[in-house]
Amino acid sequence: MKLFTKLTLFITLSKMAVALLFVLLLPVLVEDIAHQYNDYYLREQKKKVLQVIQQNGIDAYLQGEETYGSYTMLKEEYISLEPAGNTIMADTIATVQRLVEGDTLTYRVLTHILQANHRAFLLEVGRKTTTISQYNRPLQRMALYVLGGLIIITILIDLVFTRLLLKPLGVIIQTRLLHRRFPFREQAPPIRTSTADFQYLDDSLVELMNKINDAFEKEREFTSNASHELMTPISILQTKMENLLDERDTDEALQHTVQGMMKTLKRLKKIVHSLLLISRIENDQFPKNDALSPYLLVTEVMEELSHRLEEKNLRFSMQLSPQTMLHRLNHDLIFQLVYNLLQNAVKYNRENGSITVTDEIHPDHYLLIISDTGIGISSREVDTIFHRFRKIQRGTAEGYGLGLAIAHTIAQYHHIQISVETTMDQGSTFTLRFPL
Amino acid sequence: MKVLIIEDERSMATEMEAFLKKAYHCDLVASASQAVARLEDNAYDFVLLDLGLPDMDGLQLLQQARKLCPEAAYIILTARGQLEDRIKGLDLGADDYLPKPFSLLELQSRMQAISRRKFGLQDVLIPLGDFSVDLQKRNVYFEQTEITLSRKEFDLLSYMLLHKNRPLSRMQLSEHIWGDLADDEYDSNYIDVHIKNIRRKLSTYATVDWLQTIRHVGYKIKI
Repeated sequence: MKLFTKLTLFITLSKMAVALLFVLLLPVLVEDIAHQYNDYYLREQKKKVLQVIQQNGIDAYLQGEETYGSYTMLKEEYISLEPAGNTIMADTIATVQRLVEGDTLTYRVLTHILQANHRAFLLEVGRKTTTISQYNRPLQRMALYVLGGLIIITILIDLVFTRLLLKPLGVIIQTRLLHRRFPFREQAPPIRTSTADFQYLDDSLVELMNKINDAFEKEREFTSNASHELMTPISILQTKMENLLDERDTDEALQHTVQGMMKTLKRLKKIVHSLLLISRIENDQFPKNDALSPYLLVTEVMEELSHRLEEKNLRFSMQLSPQTMLHRLNHDLIFQLVYNLLQNAVKYNRENGSITVTDEIHPDHYLLIISDTGIGISSREVDTIFHRFRKIQRGTAEGYGLGLAIAHTIAQYHHIQISVETTMDQGSTFTLRFPL
Repeated sequence: MKVLIIEDERSMATEMEAFLKKAYHCDLVASASQAVARLEDNAYDFVLLDLGLPDMDGLQLLQQARKLCPEAAYIILTARGQLEDRIKGLDLGADDYLPKPFSLLELQSRMQAISRRKFGLQDVLIPLGDFSVDLQKRNVYFEQTEITLSRKEFDLLSYMLLHKNRPLSRMQLSEHIWGDLADDEYDSNYIDVHIKNIRRKLSTYATVDWLQTIRHVGYKIKI
């Protein structure tokens, strides 16, 4: 999930959760506040009554009667005074029920004992509970509206700000990472951002890519230099031998020796070529832009090899779909790959044997299968045949141990899976799995 | 024909000269500055240019040299062997490109091919004993009769003809025919098969004693 999506989800969900909590708590809170305010209100009323009694004496209320009671018009509040006898108690505020003119009404009542005219009186100041909570609902509703509005506004602000904040990250991903192919030759200009983290990320990415490029260039340079350093002396030797062979007075024995030397030199040349080839492939120096038909490729390879079939009287058969095209490959390398496999199929085959090339087309991959009736590979060695310089005992012929290593390197370079099934003295089947 | 060999490896240059001197007059220089001096005063038919020179980039020298001596054919010789070099070299007007190590026979073949192409030296038919060979059309004739050879057989025959009077080893021949793909054990033997076929096909018309076997080495066309 993208960072922005995650943040959006988080912001929205967390605000929803807060809103939900607030909605759940709101009635309780409002109720509580109303009650507290009401209790305060009752105490203030009590103070007023006491003030009146202090200034005018309790008779201002009692008017000679034993008790006093007064309700407001809608019985929302009342005050009552009555003799308390010997009761002594602290002030209490309680919710109690009162029977008033036949109606049972619930009041919040403050009870206070006061001394006047050397007697104790019980003062009650009450207020109807429905009066206390009459504003609760509209208050709650208003609070919810305000809250809802605020949440929507903050979510919008958060999203806009997050988007602005994350924009450099998007630019970094877009310009530095997406659709980039090694080697990273051209670097986009540095990101302009005031966020230090993004700045750091961008700088580090550029630095890293430059380092990779440097390493790559160095490797390339090394290959080029090594190639030069190795090939120059080989060249000199080769030309010297060629001239020696060409001299008219060279005797037969010497010519024979020179030929042997040339053979050895050729072997050396081949090894150096192979190693440089592997190094160049691993160094990504071959473009992969070719489209090729396996049918034509195998035909092409067999043109080079067909003369060798006759020597052992080998039968070659090919059942490939002529229309299939494979893309994003390097033609020369794939040629080399198939050539190496078919060459082995010829080289390690028995008299009157056969070589079969078939294919299978699957929705997401293409299989090219090369089978021979050769001497096979022992199970002990089958795991290491693709390693460099792993010379395996295959009859009398011995390889330089690089043909299959090259095949393997080329396959890897193209993301082709190469696998082998083999039975000693029965033959081998090499399968190339091309991704489509 | 005059050849300028620009090569800083002294022994490489002398070997090239030793091989080519039978057919060409060679001048040797070991640096770009010497090369420029020579090119200013002389007209060459061929310039063999090594790219790895001590004092100047070889491709740069190629550009400069082509201004000084535009008629010459340029062959790049390099051990760097990078694909870009090859493409750049040919883009800059080189006529051919040979990666080191190359066979001197191959160098001479390329030079002869360029001669035919560039200097129009295709004297239609080259005599070969009682036969004649058309390198352009890739045909062999006995008097008016055309003799059919396979592609590889013709390659082999024409290669030996181009290097007539030189002993050519089986390996050298197979390297020419199959290039880097040549496999010593197999293809050297196969050269014998080809030679046998050539002899068989031609000897029905006339003797082929000019095609000599050289014991332990290979073959030679002696004319």
